[in-house]
Amino acid sequence: MPPDTTSKDARVVALIGNPNTGKSSLFNALCGMNARVGNYPGVTVEQKVGRLSGTAEIIDVIDLPGTYSLAARSADEAVAVNVLSGEIPQQAKPEVAIVILDAANVERNLYLFSQIYELGLPVIVVMNMWDRVTSEGLTVNAELLSQRLGVPVVCTSANKRKGIDELKKTIEKTLRSPSATPQSEQFARAMFPSVFHDEVKQLTEWLESQGRKPSTYQVDRLLIDSDGHFQKLICQSGLPDIATKIDEARLRLQTAGCKVPMFETKARYAWVRKLIDGAVVRQESRSASPSDRIDRWLTHRWVGMLFFVFVMFIVFQSITLFAKFPMDGIQWLQAQASSGVEAVLDPGALRSLIVDGVIGGVGGVIVFLPQIAILFLFIAILEDCGYMARAAFVMDKLMTTVGLSGKSFLPLMSSFACAVPGIMATRTIESRKDRMVTLLIAPLMSCSARLPVYVLMVSAFVPDTKYAGGWITLQGMVLMFMQSLGAMVAIPVAWLLKKFFFPGEPATFLMELHSYKWPSPVVIYQRVWERLVSFVVRAGTLIFCTSILVWAAVYFPGDHMSLDAAVAQLEERQSEVSEMIAKQPPAPRGSEPATEDPSIANMQSKIDEAQELVNQQRSKLIEGSFLGMVGHRIEPLVKPLGWDWKIGVAVVASFPAREVIIATLGTIYSLGSDQDENSQGLQHQMQIAEWPNDGKPVFSLATALSIMVFFALCAQCSATLMTIRRETNSWRWPIFSFVYMTTLAYIGAWLTYQCFRFWS
Amino acid sequence: MPFHQFEIFPVCGSMITDSVPLPIEYLQPECHGTIVEMCGQPCQMQRLAELGIRQGCKVRMVCQGEPCLICIEGRRISLRLGDSADIFVIPAAG
Repeated sequence: MPPDTTSKDARVVALIGNPNTGKSSLFNALCGMNARVGNYPGVTVEQKVGRLSGTAEIIDVIDLPGTYSLAARSADEAVAVNVLSGEIPQQAKPEVAIVILDAANVERNLYLFSQIYELGLPVIVVMNMWDRVTSEGLTVNAELLSQRLGVPVVCTSANKRKGIDELKKTIEKTLRSPSATPQSEQFARAMFPSVFHDEVKQLTEWLESQGRKPSTYQVDRLLIDSDGHFQKLICQSGLPDIATKIDEARLRLQTAGCKVPMFETKARYAWVRKLIDGAVVRQESRSASPSDRIDRWLTHRWVGMLFFVFVMFIVFQSITLFAKFPMDGIQWLQAQASSGVEAVLDPGALRSLIVDGVIGGVGGVIVFLPQIAILFLFIAILEDCGYMARAAFVMDKLMTTVGLSGKSFLPLMSSFACAVPGIMATRTIESRKDRMVTLLIAPLMSCSARLPVYVLMVSAFVPDTKYAGGWITLQGMVLMFMQSLGAMVAIPVAWLLKKFFFPGEPATFLMELHSYKWPSPVVIYQRVWERLVSFVVRAGTLIFCTSILVWAAVYFPGDHMSLDAAVAQLEERQSEVSEMIAKQPPAPRGSEPATEDPSIANMQSKIDEAQELVNQQRSKLIEGSFLGMVGHRIEPLVKPLGWDWKIGVAVVASFPAREVIIATLGTIYSLGSDQDENSQGLQHQMQIAEWPNDGKPVFSLATALSIMVFFALCAQCSATLMTIRRETNSWRWPIFSFVYMTTLAYIGAWLTYQCFRFWS
Repeated sequence: MPFHQFEIFPVCGSMITDSVPLPIEYLQPECHGTIVEMCGQPCQMQRLAELGIRQGCKVRMVCQGEPCLICIEGRRISLRLGDSADIFVIPAAG
């Protein structure tokens, strides 16, 4: 397994480059481990560490977030700067920086290289996507560039695993020879005018007199970046005069003809132009590329929007159409496992724990693996082919109406898979206000944990009506509506948050859209697999533990002696009947089998009596259990939503993780009803559940919709709330999210039930 | 900002009679131009330059509107600057 952080005895190298230079693909090719690869900026928001495979020494590779510059403005870019400067606690400073350039866009990519070179680290330049050089009509002389830069240059095509071995050898060679260290000090001196260096010297001396020891690079950035990362840090650290000192220095620079910050970009691009002169030749193309022609339609204001809705429609119809068969298979396996355990173990606490707690609980969640696989498959394909960034472009117009920008769309779209990476992806948003609003509405997006709840309710209570020759289903449309409900509610919520909590104009929208490409099967497989494994692990840990706790709360404190005896009697009679049927002579060919044997019919009625006794015992025990006691206490609160106490406790139990409701309902109904070999699982149990007082069904279409609306809007995920706490560094915002979402969910569920109770 | 004094019409290269700088969003789809002036907040200017949008660059409009989609040196960049910055281009003739 790869390490989460670098090990003490390992050499450390860092991968850095502009967004979408194939950095994550290169990381996978070097380390042979999974990392998310996307076609839009900022997909790698977390620092990732892998171990270089096939090298003599232990070498750890840090995959840094993609950045256009070391002038950090977003939290994401600050991570890259901090790692390269060795400012991350318990994280060794990288010995080599591997700068990845898009071989087809060398000029802009060298801008970042020039900043990294100044940090004083040995640098290796990787010209990735080398195959695009010829396809885009470019001529790049890598050898000449290597000579001019004074650092090794390796050409790779990471997605085709080309040039990887050469890169590994170059990394080893650079780590072995410290002479590769560049003359960064002279490089920086030559880049900027002497007046700038005089100001840097003056400010450094002043900072040292105040007891600070900043590096030359940090002072450079303090002076250049207006309201940049280092300025914010140093201002927060309690140096009252620093802001005035910086302003004075900038004013003197401006007077001397060195206008901050533009003198930096001018100087660096002048250096880049000189460097690539004769080494990179681009043929002027005046015609539109195939991507341009597609973009003319897909980024069109109306056509683009309609296409996006159409894509979402296809996704959710596919989930209902294609997941049925594998889902039935998993349910069959679940039933076989339960029968197997029942055949081996006598009725009692252990058997109940395995069958009702583990198989009924965890198994109930695992059943939804096919739907989740289909959802992730579509998301991965859309990301990898480059469509997601276009969707962000199309959505920018809509997002500005609520005060956000298209940049918020990508974290929100990620939240459709899971809110945790979605919230972390908000680090790419430079404007703090936009970031906060996006972060607070991200949990409203319908994550994959909600999908099982919707699928269960929709398949059990929404009529299986089909249109257009069976290609469009009512269930699919309801599913799509539920998946979109959170996003629809997020629009007014974002508007209110922006209006009252974070007022201001929408931030500017600047984003690079990469050429369309065929999605890579390897990348798709990796992403879907990664997600499924994490879902199964979650089912096997958190949901497993909760299932056990719920089982215990339903099983205890009742005395199960009489129930166990009744179950044993029932099973004995059932096996007697089976034996009697087996002993009957086979019916002659062509005639009907003799089913009405009086002794079998007599036995069957005895089985029915025993079953009735078992049901009565179970109901009595579940009513008197700990969970039953709690359930009856909260029933007045949940009754206006159309829920009985069982649904109420299942919802309360699912506050740590929303998919727990399936496991909880599975356990409650498994323990509290007549589950026999003909039972069709939880769905069937719910369909036959009745109110004890009037015998009416507990679940109606109104109840199912009310539960789904509650789940669409409620903050039932401890991991999401903890992530909000971590990202905002305050308890205020997770508490705020929890309160506003739970209130919204309760009101939404109540309104839904009240509207549909008369309809259904 | 002296360029705001001009009356602006949607313009493509063939309609240009003289080198009149226009805000970039007025460049018609598939028209080419050269960036001649950029003004706005310093940090915004720095960000644009880091993305490769700077004075002297040749641009092509792929999709007009707000945001617009432009092509610079083979890269497509979506752009909505609002009030924070202005980019002026001279459309290419022909």
